[in-house]
Amino acid sequence: MKRSYGLALFSSALALSTVASAPASAAQPGDPPDGIAKIETVVVIFAENRAFDNLYGHFPGAEGLDKASKESLQQRDRDGSVLSELPPVWDGLTAKGVTPPVTQAMTEHLPNEPFTVNDPKGFNVPLSVVTHDLWHRFYQNQMQINGGKNDMFVAWADSGAMPMSNWDASKTDMWAIAQKYVLADHFFMGGFGGSFFNHQWLICACAPYYANADKSPAKPSIAVTDASGTALKIADNSPKSVRDGIPKFVSDGNLTPDFYAVNTMQPPYQPSGNDPAPGGDRLLADPSKPTTLPPQTEPTIGDMLSLKHVSWAWYSGAWQYTLDHGNKTPIPNFQYHHQPFNYYANYAPGTEARREHLRDAGLAGVSFIQAIDDGVLPQVSFYKPQGNLNEHSGYADIQAGDRHIADVVAHLEKSPQWPHMLVVVTYDENGGIWDHVAPPKGDRWGPGTRIPAIILSPFAKHGYVDHTPYDTTSILRFITERFELPVLHGIVVRDKAVAAHGEPPLGDLTGGLDLN
Amino acid sequence: MDADRIVALVTAAGIELTDRRRNAKGDGWSLSFSNGATVEVGDEGSACVAGKGSKAVARLLDMPPTPRGS
Repeated sequence: MKRSYGLALFSSALALSTVASAPASAAQPGDPPDGIAKIETVVVIFAENRAFDNLYGHFPGAEGLDKASKESLQQRDRDGSVLSELPPVWDGLTAKGVTPPVTQAMTEHLPNEPFTVNDPKGFNVPLSVVTHDLWHRFYQNQMQINGGKNDMFVAWADSGAMPMSNWDASKTDMWAIAQKYVLADHFFMGGFGGSFFNHQWLICACAPYYANADKSPAKPSIAVTDASGTALKIADNSPKSVRDGIPKFVSDGNLTPDFYAVNTMQPPYQPSGNDPAPGGDRLLADPSKPTTLPPQTEPTIGDMLSLKHVSWAWYSGAWQYTLDHGNKTPIPNFQYHHQPFNYYANYAPGTEARREHLRDAGLAGVSFIQAIDDGVLPQVSFYKPQGNLNEHSGYADIQAGDRHIADVVAHLEKSPQWPHMLVVVTYDENGGIWDHVAPPKGDRWGPGTRIPAIILSPFAKHGYVDHTPYDTTSILRFITERFELPVLHGIVVRDKAVAAHGEPPLGDLTGGLDLN
Repeated sequence: MDADRIVALVTAAGIELTDRRRNAKGDGWSLSFSNGATVEVGDEGSACVAGKGSKAVARLLDMPPTPRGS
């Protein structure tokens, strides 16, 4: 099979019908392997908020903490000086209500280095406990990465020492699955920052846009950056040292100065965090709310798949439950901004595309698992676990999500579709947690911090650590190549930017496969 | 309780701050969170929670939520 990239799409104004595939030509360097058509079913499982070192820092054969230099483990204060010790975890390491708690006082005077939360000689907090969340935002992530030195994660955090936390995950179910198949140890989140933005990168490789934001209710949410354009402008009253408290910024908003949405905005359609407008359409979110993002029109991977008549679906845990009953916490704790297609006009309520492609995975994924068992998954599936099963700090623990995803994997391995399946289990982003490997230099949107990714398939190499550089868009690269789709514009931009920086090209996941 | 303290307690629980602005009267802050909750915080220390997700946020702040529709 030859690379069949069609024309890249340069704006939403370009009608999909104008997209044409390039003619087949002789094999070129970098073409996907001939056997890629052996993969007939692709499943992407998108968990939440873990950096690579946070879970897999001691995985055999991986570039983990054991291979990091001592200098690369140290954090610096806001003035650039090396910290003599880490600040405490503000308000404590464990979430509200956890007993026994690990209080702020108990986290005083940690050495300036990573610490293991479930270390029996340390805090000894098990994987089943929910811990303090951390800032994971667009500009802070870039400030923390600090040009690849990764030495300002504590400086630009709101949680003191928390970014330097990690876990011994060697007894988890997913660790065993990673040992059986492929662990990618150079897989980076597609965009800087948080879940909202990285879900957009998974489906669109693009930054959502808020037209005329300066004349909209969202105007106060426009960020103020410094001269670099990649960092927030620090407020005059911001504490000078990490020891003195959480940093303050002039305006830490959701929108860039040129109106791209990079931090969490609400979907314009229900289910959304924002209620309908009083007396308005019950299927919509109130557009006058400052956090409601206007419907998006940029082409997505879903549009590309539909264009080529490839079947696909976004399976969301607790989707229908939330529509019918409203959200509940702590279970299922549905997350509105983890549903990226719900921001797009093409999938608005009432459309056939929404009915066909935005599917309820059921509570705890029961409907998705039924589709797996029945062998009726579409050619491409994305699965988003409900909140309490997604491993996000602050409201979910690692163990519950790990066991759930491993259970889903067990069903996938027994599915009638398994013999020709590729499964990617990854995380949307790092959750504000430190990792020691420098991300590849790319474009203004990313890639960001390194995250875990596990590649499973009957065609996956066995017990293999794949060092190929990947990012979230590598999933799109594989789907694009396999189904001969037009290439999303953001992938073209990313590839050019990475090449311009002299970085090796980002892979398409086939480095973890043996298709011959 | 001041706005900074409320933000710290709520965001520590994985509920992101999505908007923070002075209220129309200029006597407090309006905070919005990713679960749909909104908190009106007066400069004198009063606080009122409403919107989707208000129960979860009120629980974190040890406050009673404002009934929906009020």
